[in-house]
Amino acid sequence: MKQRYALVLERDRHLKWRVLDPVEQILMILCGVTLTGFSTTVFLDVVTRSLGHPWLWLQEVTMTFFVYGIFAGAAAATRRNDHLCLSAITEAMTGRTRLVVETFNRLVVLGAALCMVWFGYLNFLAGFGNFRMPSLTPLASLYAAIPLSGALIALFTVEQLVNGWRNGFAGRDLEPAAERLEREPFPI
Amino acid sequence: MTANGLIVSMMAGLFLVFGYLGVPVAFSLIAGVVIGTLFTPVSLPSIIAQLFNGIDAEPLMAVPFFLLVGELMTSANVVVRIANLSQALVGHVRGGLAQVVTVFSMFFSGMSGSSSADVAVLSRTMARPMAEEGYDAAFVAALIAAAATIANLVPPSIMAVVYGAIGNVSIAGLFLGGIAPGLMIGFGLMIYCYFFGPAGFRRPRSSFWNFTEATKAAALPMMIPIILLGGIMTGWFAPREAGVVAIVYILVVVIPLLNFGHLRNLPRDFAHAGLIYSLPLITIGAASAFGWMLAYLRGPIVVSGWISGLAGNDPYKIMFALVALFTIVGDFIEPIPCIVIFMPIVATLTEIGGINPVHMGVVLIVTLAFGLITPPYGLALLMASKFVGVRFSAALRASLSIYVVFFATIAACIFLPDVVLWLPKHLFPESVGCFKNPSGPGYICP
Repeated sequence: MKQRYALVLERDRHLKWRVLDPVEQILMILCGVTLTGFSTTVFLDVVTRSLGHPWLWLQEVTMTFFVYGIFAGAAAATRRNDHLCLSAITEAMTGRTRLVVETFNRLVVLGAALCMVWFGYLNFLAGFGNFRMPSLTPLASLYAAIPLSGALIALFTVEQLVNGWRNGFAGRDLEPAAERLEREPFPI
Repeated sequence: MTANGLIVSMMAGLFLVFGYLGVPVAFSLIAGVVIGTLFTPVSLPSIIAQLFNGIDAEPLMAVPFFLLVGELMTSANVVVRIANLSQALVGHVRGGLAQVVTVFSMFFSGMSGSSSADVAVLSRTMARPMAEEGYDAAFVAALIAAAATIANLVPPSIMAVVYGAIGNVSIAGLFLGGIAPGLMIGFGLMIYCYFFGPAGFRRPRSSFWNFTEATKAAALPMMIPIILLGGIMTGWFAPREAGVVAIVYILVVVIPLLNFGHLRNLPRDFAHAGLIYSLPLITIGAASAFGWMLAYLRGPIVVSGWISGLAGNDPYKIMFALVALFTIVGDFIEPIPCIVIFMPIVATLTEIGGINPVHMGVVLIVTLAFGLITPPYGLALLMASKFVGVRFSAALRASLSIYVVFFATIAACIFLPDVVLWLPKHLFPESVGCFKNPSGPGYICP
């Protein structure tokens, strides 16, 4: 059967609600669009500068794509469990220990995400008093990325918490780590 | 211990505890710094604003482009041509495929700035043929991991971009300065394989015709390092612009000519690359917040005071102390947050010792690259052992003797500054602080 959302990762399906699949799909598309967007603007920047008629506003657009791409990617990576980790100690755990540690980890992420939402929102409001040059767009237009991303990260973390408690964090279809790594994007 | 010292220790402790329990690095850093901030008069919105300020640096925009270059080259399966060229070059030398792995990595490092990408590509391409020829799996994993660290040294190294952007050091200088140490590790590994590695299956030397064919097949992708480095050195492009020009070259020339059918997969490649680049950058944002709080608590001043108390202003002792610090820290945390968090200490000590910032940068990048194959958090070795299907402890044992190559390279970089500085001084003198001679031709280098 063909997958409905081509960019949604099927791994860790037991931790996901199908209703949020379109959100992951949109975030992945946004990742591609922002990368395409700022690749294009940087290229146009090179071209217009070489022609002796630089478009100064291009740098603002580039930065907007860049920042939104990072925060969209951070949110998508939370649902896909793709973030960089120092250890995968929980994968070796089973039973109640795993449940406790996985829950604790998600609560830490949830706490950080809620800080991004609330304090990011305060920064967003303060950003209306600062402006980006040369367009004089309020800096709030960039600061908005942080609470938006925080809200999505919090949503995906709650999704994993609820499903983890219902279905267990390990899931039924455990696959060897090497096979997982081979199909996934690699960290830096 | 002072109150500041306690808060710094608590933040660091929380970060490590969260991190080793499996909380993603970015969120471990955010959680650690937010909890630490509660014990200071600093406002939490200003800490969260650092997430943005940390990534609001134009040079960092090079990171996604260099990652995209690697992603496109890998997913379009163009790298096989480079593997074939490597085989034509050194397949006949003692060590056989082990030599091919090293040369392949030296070539591919010029296109991908990330050692993890190199580990993935080398494992997918070379692990199976090496297993079929009877190479010990632990040795294969150790060699692939060690060879992949070259990507962090030679352009377009992501570590160099981050180091340059955060430390305000010339990225072009770091790129050029990293080439000789990268080659030293590459040739060091080849010498190691020749004398101490398994003999492997000796192939006949490639005929001139085969070699020409392999070179012709790999010519288009091999232009990428030339575009990247040439554009930057001639001053035509900043690093991020060179990255985007390389991408345009791949999209317009390499993929249409070498793998036309792959064009329909480009949207997926861009989406994946967009996801991949956000991972280190959100970590950089979080590490900036962490580093900012450390600086507020005067952590860097205290630590640099300790180090300069021990080492005085002797540049060699300072570099040794920092190499020791980065070796220890790099064993436990990711190289990129390590660079961001410790940059204030490095900058202070670089100034105290009168060390060229590019020299210091390259020495520390080599050290951090070495950290990728040391326990307990040797990311490259961990990945290689998983890909190859061998236990980490076995791969670690096999890599112990390979460490000699890294010790020798780090020592050469410290004691012979020209190993690092000779190339930038001759090709791009401004990048290492040289300036035009006001009374004649040439440059004056401090």
